[in-house]
Amino acid sequence: MQSFKNSRFYGFFILAAMVVVFYAIFKFLTPTNFGSPENLFSYFQSSIIYSVGGCGLYFIVVMGLFDFAVGSNIVLSSIVGVILSKHFGYLGFIVGCLGCGTLIGILIGFLYNKLNVPSMIVTVGLMLIFESLAVFAAGGVKQTLDPALRFFSGAPGNIILAFCAFALMWFILNYTKIGTYCNAIGSNEFTAKNMGIDVKKYKLIGFALLHFFVGIMAILTVSYGTTMTALTGMSTMSRNFQPLMGTFFGVAFRKYGTPISAIVIGEFIIAIIFNGFVALGAPTTVQNIVTGAALLVIVTLTARGKRGSVVK
Amino acid sequence: MSEILLQAENIDKRFGITHAVDNVSLNINRGEIRALIGENGSGKSTFCQMLCGIYTIGGGKFILDGQEMHVKNQVEANKMGVSIIVQEMGTLSGLTVAENIFLGHEDPFMNHGIKNTRAMIREGQKLLDEYGFNNIKAGAMIDNYNFEDRKLVEIVKATYMKPKILIVDETTTALSQNGRLELYKIMDAVRADNRSVIFISHDLGEILEHCDTISILRDGEYIDTVNSKDVNEDDLKRLMVGREIGSAYYRTDYGKPISDEVVLTVKNVTVPGQIEDVNFELHRGEILGFGGLSECGMHEIGKAVFGASWDRQGDVVLADGTEITNIPQAIRHSIAYASKDRDNESVILNESIRNNIILPSIEDLANKHVLSAGKLNHFAKEFADKMQTKMQGINQFVSDLSGGNKQKVVLARWLGKGSDILVLDSPTRGIDVKVKQAIYALMSELTAQGKSIIMISEEIPELLGMSDRIMIMKDGKINGTFMRSESLSEEDLIAKMV
Repeated sequence: MQSFKNSRFYGFFILAAMVVVFYAIFKFLTPTNFGSPENLFSYFQSSIIYSVGGCGLYFIVVMGLFDFAVGSNIVLSSIVGVILSKHFGYLGFIVGCLGCGTLIGILIGFLYNKLNVPSMIVTVGLMLIFESLAVFAAGGVKQTLDPALRFFSGAPGNIILAFCAFALMWFILNYTKIGTYCNAIGSNEFTAKNMGIDVKKYKLIGFALLHFFVGIMAILTVSYGTTMTALTGMSTMSRNFQPLMGTFFGVAFRKYGTPISAIVIGEFIIAIIFNGFVALGAPTTVQNIVTGAALLVIVTLTARGKRGSVVK
Repeated sequence: MSEILLQAENIDKRFGITHAVDNVSLNINRGEIRALIGENGSGKSTFCQMLCGIYTIGGGKFILDGQEMHVKNQVEANKMGVSIIVQEMGTLSGLTVAENIFLGHEDPFMNHGIKNTRAMIREGQKLLDEYGFNNIKAGAMIDNYNFEDRKLVEIVKATYMKPKILIVDETTTALSQNGRLELYKIMDAVRADNRSVIFISHDLGEILEHCDTISILRDGEYIDTVNSKDVNEDDLKRLMVGREIGSAYYRTDYGKPISDEVVLTVKNVTVPGQIEDVNFELHRGEILGFGGLSECGMHEIGKAVFGASWDRQGDVVLADGTEITNIPQAIRHSIAYASKDRDNESVILNESIRNNIILPSIEDLANKHVLSAGKLNHFAKEFADKMQTKMQGINQFVSDLSGGNKQKVVLARWLGKGSDILVLDSPTRGIDVKVKQAIYALMSELTAQGKSIIMISEEIPELLGMSDRIMIMKDGKINGTFMRSESLSEEDLIAKMV
């Protein structure tokens, strides 16, 4: 008999409880400038951008892979999208971001399969290349999205697009072979192969899907910020981590069957913590320390293996 | 005359210099349960894994129902009518029960690339209910179930498509008595349906009871096929090993007094959800057996003594008053432990035999923290040879070894360490008679030297045959204690288990 502790309701319960706890802490500490309904909606809007990336990362993280090129692809796809939008309007913007994002995902997956080296190494190398490509594409100029093309910069556009991405993720995980096979490969690649699963194909699909979601994230990012500047010297690396935090929540709550909700709510929790510290006037270093510590505590309490089990 | 269902013609397979299967030819008829027996490393599993696409065929061919097989993986083998239930865990974490059952066979639930998840779960549940496994929910994550339930899911997965050949590879050791009965029923149903079973087991009694015919492999070569009703266990042992093996490989001494000297005391030990208020003493030179039904808590006893249980309450105390609370301390104080889960908890598969053997003894072998390769090699070789490990050399990876030889590496490790208290959980699990005999002889030799052994076993004859005292566990508690005696019967022990 499946116990309540293993059910999806328990997963939701824990996530909801964490939202309430963190909200209550900051509301108590700084009641006037934190946590109004308007504030919460704002936190949510900023968090869903990372949630989209977190959903994409989920496909490869469950397979035991990693990707350091997410940040560089956000920058490159945003720049390509903005450049194309100048000629083709929304069509150019959307196709540019999604097309560039997905092509990069296919390229990463292809090279990963062909080179047969760890995904971390492949993606670090490619990150440097993509950063430089973004500089060439932008011509050293900051790219600004035309004000007429900013439907996704705020509600309802950004929410509609993000929820379309979440729905797509839900559909892929639950109603296609991809979700099942990604989990199977992550569980035991050798057995998955013996079950007739084309492991290389599904790893390539995983990277392509990740970067399709990165393309969506690029649309949301550049719409929200309105401009994008190409950066080099691994400066895009920092963009990898916030979506990854959401993925950690997703992987942690996979056992409850609620990975997407966990990614979305997890990113929201992180946004509450970040903004709570901003409201408190804490310096960025303190914000980062406490946010990092909070992530460790949350994931430890919710996702740690049975005591004595091996964790890698 | 019986109709041939499967022909294996000159099947051959090499792994490097190891000739795992050497030109084996045999036929399997429709409607029979064929046992495949042999020592560890005799090629049984390799033969079957080639048949079901896990390994590529090195040479020769399989002809199933008149059609030559060219399968590259298990799914292709399934489609041709061959499926397998493997010895170790064959289900995948992170998937639901239904996804595991239909993994690689999702097409009936796919419509233009869209999976009908509800229909898959419904069909999975229907199958589970039909098999009588209705405590397992098709929509639940497989990770919510224990090893045995996951094995039952694997049985459903391997048999629901009504394969022409069902391979059962050393599965029964993972199942409780009820699980075994379910499996035997399924095997009988396959036979009644004029399909066939290839059954691999080291339990010769089980083989004689449930199989029609028995094929024997030795060192990769085909030896013979016999009718079960024409042979007994001793005949099979002789055919497997190539020489006489007496049936008396258990101890034959009775009435030997147990030393009064207590070497280890277990006081009020509780591991929440596993064992409750367990008390016993282990004496010098004694073999103390623990038995019971699956999940009775006996396996946790071994971990608790070795300091490997989390949340353990109560005391494990040595004769000198040292309390054992963790693994490094247990090893320092001469306690050894061989887990039931050999591949995951006892050996490091992707490491050499040498490194597996020297692991707990490295500090003893170091000279002022500096290790000498020559000394380590000599040490590893000495104890690997002492255990008569069948290997190409001490640098061979443990993953290449058969189950019996892996266990020899585990025992060589602790022999090398010179441990005085050995906790052996299922020491002969999945091991052939020849290695079993060697392990039993070693246990007797060790106790004669004054070493003490806690032997946890799911095999009642092993408990009766080797233990000085037997403690039977039920629901996490000791439910009965028996002294070694000729008159002690399996029924006596079972009465305390259920």
